[in-house]
Order: sequence, then C-alpha cells, then structure tokens
Amino acid sequence: MAMEVGFLGLGIMGKAMATNLLRNGFKVTVWNRTLSKCDELVEHGASIGETPAAVAKKCKCIIAMLSDPSAALSVVFDKDGVLEEICHGKGYIDMSTVDADTSLKISEAIISKGGHFLEAPVSGSKKPAEDGQLVILAAGEKALYEEAILAFNVLGKKSFFLGQVGNGAKMKLVVNMIMGSMMNAFSEGLVLAGNSGLDPHTLLDVLDLGAIANPMFKLKGPTMIQSSYSPAFPLKHQQKDMRLALALGDENAVSMPVAAAANEAFKKARSLGLGDLDFSAVHETVKDLHYPS
Amino acid sequence: MTALALVKSHYSHQLSSTAMAMCSSFCPQIPNQLRARPICPFPPKPLFTLSVNAFSSQTSNASAKADGLSARIGFLGLGIMGSPMAQNLIKAGCDVTVWNRTKSKCDPLISLGAKYKSSPQEVAVSCDVTFAMLADPESAVEVACGKHGAASGLSSGKGYVDVSTVDGATAKLISGHVRATGASFLEAPVSGSKKPAEDGQLIFLTAGDKSLYEMAAPLLDVMGKSRFYLGDVGNGAAMKLVVNMIMGSMMASFSEGLLLSEKVGLDPSVLVEIVSQGAISAPMYSTKGPSMIQSLYPTAFPLKHQQKDLRLALGLAESVSQPTPMAAAANELYKVAKSGGLSDQDFSAVIEALKAKLQNPAK
Repeated sequence: MAMEVGFLGLGIMGKAMATNLLRNGFKVTVWNRTLSKCDELVEHGASIGETPAAVAKKCKCIIAMLSDPSAALSVVFDKDGVLEEICHGKGYIDMSTVDADTSLKISEAIISKGGHFLEAPVSGSKKPAEDGQLVILAAGEKALYEEAILAFNVLGKKSFFLGQVGNGAKMKLVVNMIMGSMMNAFSEGLVLAGNSGLDPHTLLDVLDLGAIANPMFKLKGPTMIQSSYSPAFPLKHQQKDMRLALALGDENAVSMPVAAAANEAFKKARSLGLGDLDFSAVHETVKDLHYPS
Repeated sequence: MTALALVKSHYSHQLSSTAMAMCSSFCPQIPNQLRARPICPFPPKPLFTLSVNAFSSQTSNASAKADGLSARIGFLGLGIMGSPMAQNLIKAGCDVTVWNRTKSKCDPLISLGAKYKSSPQEVAVSCDVTFAMLADPESAVEVACGKHGAASGLSSGKGYVDVSTVDGATAKLISGHVRATGASFLEAPVSGSKKPAEDGQLIFLTAGDKSLYEMAAPLLDVMGKSRFYLGDVGNGAAMKLVVNMIMGSMMASFSEGLLLSEKVGLDPSVLVEIVSQGAISAPMYSTKGPSMIQSLYPTAFPLKHQQKDLRLALGLAESVSQPTPMAAAANELYKVAKSGGLSDQDFSAVIEALKAKLQNPAK
C-alpha cells in the first residue's frame, strides 16, 4: 500500500528523508523554498508542489522539515501556506526542531481547521537521515502517530511518543543542549591536549576505550583535529537549539551554567562566520581563545 | 609523542604474538636485581598461555614466571582503587607486599596472601617494583618523599610506579626524588573507576622510564585492558587530567539535561533512553543516569576526586594560557556539591548542586 505524503523542506535533512520515503515505495510530493532543490527528488519519482498550500491540497498527510521556528511558522501561516488547505482528515507532521510555543501555535492552527497535528523532531543528522537511522521524538495526536509509524519506520530506527504537543520539542532541545555542551567540553580537551604537548589522536584513542566513549567523539574528533568541518549539522542550528534550551531553562528557573558557557562559544563561532559549517567548527573558537605566551 | 597501546580486550584468552615477542626479547635485558627468581634460560613453552582475564579463578598454580609477574611487588594505598588492583595482582600469582595508612584496610589483602610492612620505606626496601595508588598530590608526595617514604627505601635496580592522579609538577617532583636514589620511575595514572579496577579493565596512561614500563607491562596487563606510553614524566598526568576534565564537564551537562527534562514535564528515564540511541550515547550516561534519577550516588569515583582533577586540569590550562570556560563552569558545580557535604558520594552527585535545595542523601 503506497502512502501518499507531502514533504516540505529539502535541506540537509529533508532531502535525505524524502529520498528514503521514495525509495521505500511512498508517493511523495515535494516543495522547497528554492524550487530547484526539488529536481533531484523528481529524478527519484517525486512530484512537485508549487507552494505549501498546493502540497497540502494534494496530500492527506504532510511532513515538514524546516530549519528553524521562523521557517516552520512561515510554511504554515504565510500566503500560500499549509493552513489555506488544511481541512478535516488531513494530518500535519512537523519534524523541524522548534521551541514548544511555536509547535503549540502550529498545532492549534491546524486543529482549528479540522486537521490533525504531530510534532516529531529528530535526533540524528545527515548520515542517520540518509541511512534511515534517525531517532524520532513525536508528541501530539496519538492516532496520527500511529498512522505515521509506517513512514517513521522508514525514516528512523526508533520512535518515541512523548505525549502532548510540546514534549517532543522540549525533549529534542534537552538532547541537543547536552550535545552542544559535550562538543565544547571535547573541544576544550583536544585543545588542552595539544597545548600540553600530547598527541590529540592519542586522546581520541584513550577516550574511545573508556566510560565517556561515544559516536560523536569518534566521528568528529579526527576531522576537528584536521580543522575540517563539512556540515552534517550546521553550527547556526546548534546555536539555535542551545538558545531555545536556555530559554526553556529560563522559563522554568532551571540552573544551567555549563550550557550557558557552551552557548557563548557557539555565539562566538557564529560571529566569526562559522554558522554554515558543521557545529564541530566551534573548535575553531575554542582554539582561538588561546593566546600563546 | 607516539603512544604504544596494547589492548588486551581482543585477546583475553591468548596473548598476541607481539606480547609474546616482547616477553622473550626483554627478558635478557632486565638487570639481575629485578628478578626475584632466575628465569633464564627461557622456559620452552610460551609463558602467557594463561587467560589473563581469568586469573581470579586461577589457583596459585598460575605459575607466573614472566619477569614483571615474578618480581616482588609493593603496593601502597588500598582505597577504592588500590585494593582491587592489589587483589588482582595477588590472584595472578604475584608476590605482593602491601601498606596502607589505615592498617585495617590491609587485612583483606593479607588474608589473600599479601605480606605487610608498616611503612612505604620498608615496602620499597623489600620489593623490586613498588606501586602507589593515593588519593591526591599531597598523599602521593607524602608517601613517596615523606618520612619513612618510599624514596628512602628505593635504590638502583628498583622501580616506583605511581598510579595516583596528580598534576605534572607533583609527578616531576616525585620522579626527581625516586630517580635520585638510582631507581626508575613511571607515572601511570588510570582511566576507569571502581568496577574497571575490580574487573582488571583499567586504562594506564604512563610516562617516564621506558625500561620500567616494559618491565611492568605484564603487571599492568593484569590490572588493566590497555596501556599507553606517552613519553616524559608529566605526559601521563596531563592526559589523565584532560580526560577527566572532559568527563567532569560531561557529567555536569548531563545533570543539567536530566533536571531540565524533569522540570518541563518530561520523564528523565526516557531522556536517558533517547540519549543511549544517538550520537552522544556514552556508557557513563547509561550506567549513572538511572541512579541519578533516583537521587542515589553509590560511590565509584568520589566527587572530591573529580573536583580535584578539574582543579588540576584548570591549573594545567592556565599554565598554557588556555581559557576553559566549560571546565570552569563545571568546577564551580562540584565545589558547590562539596560544600554541601557530597564529597564522598559518587561524582554524579554533582546534579544536587543544580537543584534548588541541595540534598545530602542518607548514607
């Protein structure tokens, strides 16, 4: 049974995800702000929707994968946006990483038009997206979640249903907050190792044997040592996530000094023009702090 | 600096040909004083056919005839780490003499067959290689260089292996005192806490006298799963401090995540599960997450030692003019936890420092 879905947003993640759906027998109608990005998907069998509204009109279920709250809101609320065509029976699954308020706002609008809503941000970047190995953090309408499982099983290795709208968004932000702090801590360690006359590659070997071994260090360590930052997860998005996580902490009076320190490093990296590089490029900021004595 | 890493995990039931070759090549070079019993000519069958990991189930028939394993071994410091490490050496059939500041801690080792001497000096006098596993720089210096310290008993042909975690300056200080006696010195701090120590799965980050490293290698292999030789004294300390600096920051960040998730209405154990599925999945999170959620912190690595390591790492960073804002922020949290009475809890108790009301859990 081929499910027909709409797919809005063909960036680093969306392109890989839409391709996976096409390869697994889904009929997909795509839209991207820069329409030319749709061409490659068309080669894999996708149809094109000229606007988000056109996609929503055609498809019973629409998946969105946008880069930030502003883009996520835009495809829903703007002229020719999804909301113009949402009606009873249609489902909207927003897999963008946004703050809980943005997600709630979209959810309310979709539901008010008779539609069904699920937020489903993902944990995992480019390669897991390509390999269908994402971890999906869904929340919202359980019935829509159950319908979406077929698609989620193609896109990811594991899905969680976390309850009411907002919970998926929050969970994603917490995970990425830890990740951003870990990346900074790792970077500080690599720099200190180098400054102390140790071989950073040896540090990687030692880390890989112990209790703090993890795939991110293993994968990114060697490229960081080479100052190579081909974007799997753009730094500007990581900083956005840290900022949103800190805001969540602010709202709830939760103490987060380590995350705050990490955010400062990502901000600095953005100001140095590193926003479009992989988030591991924060390493350049950490290195930059060292003034040789 | 290249590191020699020999990982035993993938040959737990046989030794690699590399190790066997090392065994037969260093034997003739070891000075006579380091041999407890003559082992040359080399026995015809390979020495290391015994399963290194299965030593705990071996009887004293595990005739450890290789050089390091046949030496008289001293062990100073029988705390959380030293006690299981010394036990593993005894179970491997080694001749072990122990000392601890609180004598009663020696009793379990004595009942396993260890000998006892009443001062580090006497231990060093009666042994070929003496290990030291102390809690901090002050104790390490005291035991090595203090009154009736190890240095007073060391002499040419003997070795001193300090597996305590200290700063580079302390390591060099101890090294100087040891080498002044004619003995060899190796710093060898470990990565790994209580359970890896018990299981013989430690990672040794050594530096100093290469000849002592080679001689001690079979002993390190009894206590650990891999070892690195990092060059000059100070490099072992630096590597250990860098690793624990990252670890301390990671634990603090993880704590922030657990608390935030709970505060915003999520289930922190689901967070732990989600983390375990992704790119940031680390054994430490899966091991400690569940107990942290219960506000339980069974001590595998005391919080006071983690804070000591962060303090020393910050010192190292300062000495090379490197700002480390993450480590500095994390260090403040451990300090808060210490002042809240959590020094002897596991370092995961740092999560309490983030809570509105710091709780000292009932012991």
